[in-house]
Amino acid sequence: MTVSGRIRWIPVLLGCLGVSLILVIYPIYVIRPFRAQGARELAVALMISRFRPGLTVISALAAVWAAIRYRGRWWRRTLAAAGAVLVCALAALARVNVYELMFHPDDHPAFAAASEAKLDKDDKLIVVNVRGSARAYPIRTMGYHHVINDVVGGTALAATY
Amino acid sequence: MDGLRLTFHLAGINNQNFLMRDDQTGTYWQQISGLAISGPLKGRQLTLVHSDELTFATWKAEEPEGTVLRDVARYAPQYEKKDWDVRMKRAPVVIQFPEAGMKARELLLGIQAFGASRAFLYDRVIQEKLVKDHVGAEPVLLVVGGDGESVRGFRDRIPGVDGAPDFYRMTANTAGTLLMDAATGSEWSFQGCAVSGKAKGICLEPVPMLKDYWFDWRNYNPKTTIWGKR
Repeated sequence: MTVSGRIRWIPVLLGCLGVSLILVIYPIYVIRPFRAQGARELAVALMISRFRPGLTVISALAAVWAAIRYRGRWWRRTLAAAGAVLVCALAALARVNVYELMFHPDDHPAFAAASEAKLDKDDKLIVVNVRGSARAYPIRTMGYHHVINDVVGGTALAATY
Repeated sequence: MDGLRLTFHLAGINNQNFLMRDDQTGTYWQQISGLAISGPLKGRQLTLVHSDELTFATWKAEEPEGTVLRDVARYAPQYEKKDWDVRMKRAPVVIQFPEAGMKARELLLGIQAFGASRAFLYDRVIQEKLVKDHVGAEPVLLVVGGDGESVRGFRDRIPGVDGAPDFYRMTANTAGTLLMDAATGSEWSFQGCAVSGKAKGICLEPVPMLKDYWFDWRNYNPKTTIWGKR
């Protein structure tokens, strides 16, 4: 194997690693609590978030291929393999909603009759009435879950807080 | 949206107002406005469902057949405590709008309607119990419930009745009534419906109101005016 043949795959691997790191880290860096978000950087971060699941998979496939094709000393091949594994891990991480790790969703909301609800009389609720169906969402609960997908009176709605 | 039912998830934050993302199209939506800000549905607007913020006691008395979201047991220890709104007043903010001497986390009731935005300082509204004002050119009414905490907003017009209603708060009232109007001499409930008098059976049109902090309200309502500032 020529020197030029070995060098060809390493830049590919490093490039995949760099791209995947940017795709994963940039949105997390921009869209985090207690940091002001500028309009342009937010737009870029959201666009990256929308496309990164697919892009990081492409990057991971390219990194794995580069690691497989790389021919060098055993320790260099080991490093290349580790790099490919890291790019694959970033592809998995790109699919993780970190915000729902902080605030777990209530994907199957359940409801109690008003007469059975265990709430204090001064607990605050967000309340709706859709076509005669009355529903209440305690603010203390909503302050954690933030979004409840629901159907009230035949209308699909998202209660948010 | 266009016949497609969207399912939303918490997906980020934008200057301390959260973003949500729908599973079906991957579009990102701003929570406070319901506006799509990124993705295939960018620019589209979710339809607001009218809601009120009431105490449990008030709501249960009005809707005894209603249903309440249950806690998720394994997450309940992480839910907000009773004094969360007091603790939140001390939380830092990342954007500031110090005009008009407003504190960043000053609590208000915001109305964005009739081509205008107006912020009603919450503590003053609670103190006054009945506020008659305008949003744009439209007269509005803010009514504090018998619990001293729940607030509803209405258009200050009685449908089908000409002229200003001239509502006032009753000092001695029968159960379930809160207001009387000079125009028809009717008694009105906290739900904005006349329970006696010439207007019996008529209900006032509710006005959507958002309880918010000044910095967040002002960020999305740059031309807002303020009621209640001394």
